[in-house]
Amino acid sequence: MSARVVMKLTVVEAVATTPEVLRLTLVHPQRPELPAWEPGAHVDLRLPDGRTRQYSLCGDPADRGRYVLAIKREAAGRGGSLWTHDNLGPGAVAHVSHPRNNFGLAAGARRHVLIGGGIGVTPLAAMARHLTAGGADFILHLCARSAEHAPLLPELRALCGDRLRCWLSAEGARFDPTALGAPEDGVHVYACGPQRLTDAVQTTLERAGWPAEQVHVEHFAPIADENYKPEPFDALIASTGAVIHVPADVSLLDVLRRHGFAMPSSCEIGVCGSCECGYRDGTVIHRDVVLPVAKRQDRMMPCVSRARVSVTLEL
Amino acid sequence: MSATSAPRHVEAFAHAAGSVAAGVPGGATGWQGTLLDIHIAPAASYEMEALAEARCVAGRGIEGDRYFLGTGTYSPKPDTREVTLIEQEALDALARNDPPLQGGPIHLAPVDHRRNLTVRGVPLNHLVGRRFRVGEVILRGGRLNFPCKYLEELLGLPVYLPLYNRSGLNCGIERGGIIRPGDPIALLD
Repeated sequence: MSARVVMKLTVVEAVATTPEVLRLTLVHPQRPELPAWEPGAHVDLRLPDGRTRQYSLCGDPADRGRYVLAIKREAAGRGGSLWTHDNLGPGAVAHVSHPRNNFGLAAGARRHVLIGGGIGVTPLAAMARHLTAGGADFILHLCARSAEHAPLLPELRALCGDRLRCWLSAEGARFDPTALGAPEDGVHVYACGPQRLTDAVQTTLERAGWPAEQVHVEHFAPIADENYKPEPFDALIASTGAVIHVPADVSLLDVLRRHGFAMPSSCEIGVCGSCECGYRDGTVIHRDVVLPVAKRQDRMMPCVSRARVSVTLEL
Repeated sequence: MSATSAPRHVEAFAHAAGSVAAGVPGGATGWQGTLLDIHIAPAASYEMEALAEARCVAGRGIEGDRYFLGTGTYSPKPDTREVTLIEQEALDALARNDPPLQGGPIHLAPVDHRRNLTVRGVPLNHLVGRRFRVGEVILRGGRLNFPCKYLEELLGLPVYLPLYNRSGLNCGIERGGIIRPGDPIALLD
């Protein structure tokens, strides 16, 4: 999770694309153009209680006037999709962040293989629109229970023609990742959907010798902060070898200060970035909103972030 | 997004910076400035919205703004944040990459910089510990604003260093009232 501007967008259309999937079209109430995005990008939708849910943009990236989301009603989920289905009709206001992309198309690829399971087809739909517009070589595998339950099926058929392959389990057809065969230079594979599908794709391709750089998978993990309970851990100071215990009810920043480290800080709520600190050898629970994802492997914000069991700090 | 309780603000001339500066003579005089834009946001991270007029409430903030409501990113930490101002001249400097601290020009629109008031012809860095008028409203300069990494991350632009020392002014409201773009700004005392 990192900081992004939130917009209050207007729902202009809400249509059921399957019995369980609602397709929402959103526009900005004041501006003709929304922030630009690239295929594969997602937005955060804010719920009234402040929690957020990630949804992929599934419309046309070239259309700057609107965002399209497809949201599956998850009766057994954590409540976000039910709220959305029940409350986001035409005229409603949706609180939506600027888009971010962790699942982009590989630059310079000569062929793209897109594999979507159920609602996981949403980012791939945006990719397919972009690739079609650019005349690129691609194929889209859509896995679903039946045609009735395949999200966005009519529009994907119209868009992709014979580049769309449907794998409908009710008809006995299942996508088999071994059919992707041996790795080929310039061919990139993208999978999004239930974990058993993405795991199968990753495992099969790894065994077949595909380089990891050519296999792209998207997961939407739950927000780490929900129901978060701080636990005690140990901080090892790299320069001295000292081990400092951090109790569950005290921040790492406070403990470091008590031990004589002059740590700069300002907000102490994980937003300003003043107390940034390097680390290694540990699993850090990042709870700030300021560190970019790319820096989280070796930097942390000790005012709010903690570690599982132990961490070594570059101090 | 509704306020649970009135936010806690540090009165501008009680702030560690403002209280000292108020007793030190000096600063630019004889200038006359203009209010260019008014922006508020309902909560932390929310897009700023332009207003054609705004109500300033003494000791509290601009009606509808996150620091009026207590829903701002920094609301949990009491400080002087009733109204924040930035100079159009500082934004102009960023747009011409002056000084060349980053890759190139940065165009920071009034809707982007997340300060409430964009002003022209007002030497904000001289106004800590000073009283000044914006239309019918009287503001007190409490401390210099400083850029934060949060803004950089939010905007996806490297604005931290280029905004250093020209990030604007955090003020308290001594006398409330209505302000509008175009209002004159002048020093009192």
